[in-house]
Amino acid sequence: MSGSKHSQAMHFHARAGEKLRNPILQGALRKAKPLFVGKRAKGVASLAEDGLDFDVLRSTAKNIRNRTLADLDAWLEIFEERAVATGAEVLWARDGAEVSRLVVDIARRHGVTKAVKSKSMLSEEALLNEALAAAGIRPVETDLGEYIVQLAGETPSHIIAPAVHKTIGEVEALFAREHGRPLETRTSADIPAMAQEARAVLREHFLSAGMGISGANFLIAETGSAALVTNEGNGRMVTTLPKVHVVITGIEKIVPTLEDFATLMRLLPRSATGQSISNYVSLLTGTKRDGDRDGPEKTIFILVDNGRAKLLGSDYQDMLRCIRCGACMNHCPVYFSLGGHAYGWVYPGPMGSVLTPLYTGIENAIDLPHASTGCNQCGAVCPVDIPLPTLMHRLREEQNERGLRPWPERLALKVWGWVAGKPALYRWLARRTARYLNWLADGSGRIRIFGLAPGWTAGRDLPVSSGLTFHELYSARKKT
Amino acid sequence: MRLALYVTCLVDLMRPSVGFAALRLLEATGAEVIVPESQTCCGQPAWNAGNRPLAVDLAKKAIAELEGFDHVVIPSGSCADQIRNVYPQLLGDDPLWGPRVRGVAERTFELSQYLAEVAEGGFIAADFPGSVTYHDSCKGLRGLGIKRQPRELLHKACGLTLKEMPDCEECCGFGGAFSVKFGDVSTQIVDRKCDAIAAVGADSVVGGDLGCLINIEGRLRRRGDETTRVLHIAEVLAGGGDS
Repeated sequence: MSGSKHSQAMHFHARAGEKLRNPILQGALRKAKPLFVGKRAKGVASLAEDGLDFDVLRSTAKNIRNRTLADLDAWLEIFEERAVATGAEVLWARDGAEVSRLVVDIARRHGVTKAVKSKSMLSEEALLNEALAAAGIRPVETDLGEYIVQLAGETPSHIIAPAVHKTIGEVEALFAREHGRPLETRTSADIPAMAQEARAVLREHFLSAGMGISGANFLIAETGSAALVTNEGNGRMVTTLPKVHVVITGIEKIVPTLEDFATLMRLLPRSATGQSISNYVSLLTGTKRDGDRDGPEKTIFILVDNGRAKLLGSDYQDMLRCIRCGACMNHCPVYFSLGGHAYGWVYPGPMGSVLTPLYTGIENAIDLPHASTGCNQCGAVCPVDIPLPTLMHRLREEQNERGLRPWPERLALKVWGWVAGKPALYRWLARRTARYLNWLADGSGRIRIFGLAPGWTAGRDLPVSSGLTFHELYSARKKT
Repeated sequence: MRLALYVTCLVDLMRPSVGFAALRLLEATGAEVIVPESQTCCGQPAWNAGNRPLAVDLAKKAIAELEGFDHVVIPSGSCADQIRNVYPQLLGDDPLWGPRVRGVAERTFELSQYLAEVAEGGFIAADFPGSVTYHDSCKGLRGLGIKRQPRELLHKACGLTLKEMPDCEECCGFGGAFSVKFGDVSTQIVDRKCDAIAAVGADSVVGGDLGCLINIEGRLRRRGDETTRVLHIAEVLAGGGDS
């Protein structure tokens, strides 16, 4: 199944309304936003302690990513060669369906009935959990947030905090049900105990699973390694305990050297969670060697295109620099009004408003490139300097070029543009409009219901002037 | 010194007093201020909608109107950003228009930027008794780097105290057509701005972009706040916005 089939991105508008009216979600989002923003600000400020400057580092990181993308095919070949030399296998997948097919085949070949998973957004692109379940293989998400989301039968609403939309009460209800115990009243003080409870359950899964599936934050070409950046330790369990380890990641995740990886690591955790370094940074190379106490007997990389290669050399290539830190959504006023599910596909927030149309079809996500005020709070914090608003803008242009905008909008713009090109007519119409607005305001200075822009007056008044335009007042003044 | 004042379509239609306040402030610097008669709109709505051909047409029109002045001053961060940063993207590579567009772009300034950094004849702010809080609008702040200029100018107004609201750099949710297309989302965002304004408890909210100000004022009034004044910085500095 390709991405577009499970995308709900066409329903952004309807979902947005639904999310705005959900007080539980709104409460969760209100709580989370200052935490994300504050932590990242502190993390970036702490660069100074190491004598580093965010802007300088960001431009270095951007160059690393650009340089890699310029010769992506070569770096991928080097990676493949080195990874194979360490005993790993490297497979290539064109799309999500192929990913699922490959993983199911591997599982069958090794008689796997249960797979533990560390966080992988690409497996969400591939709908891998559904495919595994359909093949009789039980996928168990082991990242705490992913575990919660899986219990709820939902999808992640944030790329690094998958369950950010859930309140503690909702999580407690899921745990009580799943873990077969009575419901208790919980406060934030109980979070460590609840995490412990999940840990105990997950430990059994780690020990009994035949296969571990993880993503990779980066692939390092010179060593043929996967780099995993995590905070909970589940990643280590998933990648070392089961006999088979499958790494699923996008082809753009490659970096040439460990040195480059170290540079990017100065930015990734700081931008994501504000940490100078995450609790765990794993470099996974090859398989268990003689004398190793643990490690997989089989390591298989699945390197996935799913729409990435066609962005190379396109107007959207900048997007491939993304290192998946989540800072763009953490600073997005739209994301924090709606949460991630409103965006309808795997990636929410500004990065999603660019990636969803590109990966699932521009015509399948018409609203997303417009679901932005253009504030550029995302672009300003992006650690690899992706001009997200510019890319959304280019998508808007492409919608126009392909005739995908609704006709009333096209007509209105055409008429407005024609009038704006004719100053005398424009002046006359502006005067009529000013009079009309003033008449609607009925002497109160504001309009409460405006049929031409109901979206505005549903939640706001429209303050208006005295019914005279600047230009008519100015010409009158010049005459006197 | 010949200055062009580009009042913006929004000021023309919704709040002429901002245009007259800007005019007074600029004249007080000793410059000769011309309001080019044929000006309509800089084309931002077309650009934001993704209609490049229309944005290009309106850019050409504006460039022709605004050439030949020492400076162009605009009481709006987003329109100034359109001319300074977007026009060169639209026409920079055109052999004929490229040099012309760059000529206008580099001489174009947002009002507070102009008064604080460029104006030669000095500047005297009117008295303004009361407390104000300043909303940094996005295009001015992140597009043009306007942050300290309006605050410097406000500090010159006798009797004025500046109280910074929390998250003053957060978007107000206006976003042009966004505020109508996604009215409910926009309302939710501006609601957070109104909370910040209420938290700081200033007499007036001041900003440099009329779009943001109309959005903020509209939501404040709908929430039942009838007292907080919402003013363009030109109105504050020029001493009231009467035309």
